[in-house]
Amino acid sequence: MKKLFKTYSPFSRAGVQSAMAYRANFIFFLIGEIFKCFVMYFVWRAVFDSSQNQNFMGFTMEDMTVYVFISFLTGYLSFSDGAFALGEEIVDGSVSMRMIKPCSFDMCFLFQELGNKVINYSIMFVPIVLGVEIYRFVITGAVQFNIVSFVLFFVSLQLAYLINFYFNVCYGFLAFFLKNLWGTNLIKDVIVGFLSGSTIPLAFMPDALQTVLTYLPFASLSYTPVMIYMNMYSPFQIAFSMLLQAFWLAVFVLVSKMIWHFAMKHLCIQGG
Amino acid sequence: MKRIFRLHRIFISQHLKRLMEYKVDFTVGAIGFLLGQAVEILFIGIIFSQIPDLAGWTFDEILFIYGFSLIPKAIDHMFFDNLWMIGYSIVRKGDFDKYLTRPINSLFYVTVEKFQVDAFGELLMGIILITYSLIRISGNIMWQRALILLLLVPFAVLIYTSVKILTSAISFWTKQSGHITHMFYAVNDFAKYPVTIYNDFIKVIITYIIPFAFTAYYPASFFLRGENGWFCVLGTVLISLALFGISLIVWNRGIKAYESAGS
Repeated sequence: MKKLFKTYSPFSRAGVQSAMAYRANFIFFLIGEIFKCFVMYFVWRAVFDSSQNQNFMGFTMEDMTVYVFISFLTGYLSFSDGAFALGEEIVDGSVSMRMIKPCSFDMCFLFQELGNKVINYSIMFVPIVLGVEIYRFVITGAVQFNIVSFVLFFVSLQLAYLINFYFNVCYGFLAFFLKNLWGTNLIKDVIVGFLSGSTIPLAFMPDALQTVLTYLPFASLSYTPVMIYMNMYSPFQIAFSMLLQAFWLAVFVLVSKMIWHFAMKHLCIQGG
Repeated sequence: MKRIFRLHRIFISQHLKRLMEYKVDFTVGAIGFLLGQAVEILFIGIIFSQIPDLAGWTFDEILFIYGFSLIPKAIDHMFFDNLWMIGYSIVRKGDFDKYLTRPINSLFYVTVEKFQVDAFGELLMGIILITYSLIRISGNIMWQRALILLLLVPFAVLIYTSVKILTSAISFWTKQSGHITHMFYAVNDFAKYPVTIYNDFIKVIITYIIPFAFTAYYPASFFLRGENGWFCVLGTVLISLALFGISLIVWNRGIKAYESAGS
């Protein structure tokens, strides 16, 4: 374990440094993205104003607001594009350098991105959580913050990130077949966004679809942590959904390792 | 003027040739975009399954406003997309020298250099939504207003383009401003829904400061309901021209401040 950190911590440092260098850019980008949350917030407010009852498919206005912002936070912090770089390396052939270095390819990407995440967490985590909690306090007049849900949320969020990371590694290998990942990436993001409940809460979907989506890996990426944060899950549901997260993580780690070994045998790089 | 149009044609045809090389990428990109929009429409549909109207607007009217908001955005995206690159890389790398040394206006050259076909997806979606909603509400439509609405489209495009010119010109001083452009451009998300759902603070911002409300809601609401005609129509024209004027002034000052990167 110690050796692992010794080998890969330089990657994390590099990640921290590059994120620090572009900190201002990240903040501008973030503000732009948060506008979208506010659009959704106002749409929901208008929905609740137009509606006779104060409950929309099991969600109150307060729930919906928390959902919009926490699912944005989850989506951002569990986002992973390390594997996108892998795809580019495959296309331009520099992936060959990975094969002669004495470190594992996924760990390099993972630790580099973790360094990046440290900065992202420091910038956005506290302001958004604090904002949501203050909002809940003002609306309900009582402190809604629950430390147990919060810790479980945090663990679930880390699992979501790791699943996303390995899912994207698997996806990055598609670059062996497709020379350009941009368009397919767009399609992937839309489909994953839809199936993971980050665009529309899964609770709003037809029952049959909802059941299927709960078991698919996508719910583990965003819906599970958000529901845990919101206290919408019973203890049994929490245990079940987190076990499911662990299961899907194991699956994607295994699949990505298998593809890597298979691909390395068949890789053909021109020039270099 | 004639020369400018001829040059623009040459740029576009050059770009289309490049594009033909990547037909699959284009198709895949367009499908991705259409899927993304379909999900948003589905979201609106789910909302309306529970409520009869949203802040006084029916499902069809909301679809119309949403669809109309895509049209100026798509046109700007299609013809003037290269402006993004100024703030992201052109100035930082010193590549802006190229535009200054050509015998045409640098802003015009850099703006039209790229023809962005991805925008066809947006345009198509906008047209589909407008057509669909118009068929369903055709009974209440004043067709004279349609002509005015059509005439307002170029001004709405000008708002998008001006915001991009203004924010990318910041890079002449700071070297990089792509993320600032992103931040201001993202405000256009507010334009997809009726301005009446927002609080006063946001209303003022999207009407007078970053006037994206004039790219969709105001023209569309004039078309649908005919209320506040002068404000909606003249406002769109005047605000877009004013913003364009300001962006040109900032751009020209920026060029004077531009320093190339050492090589």
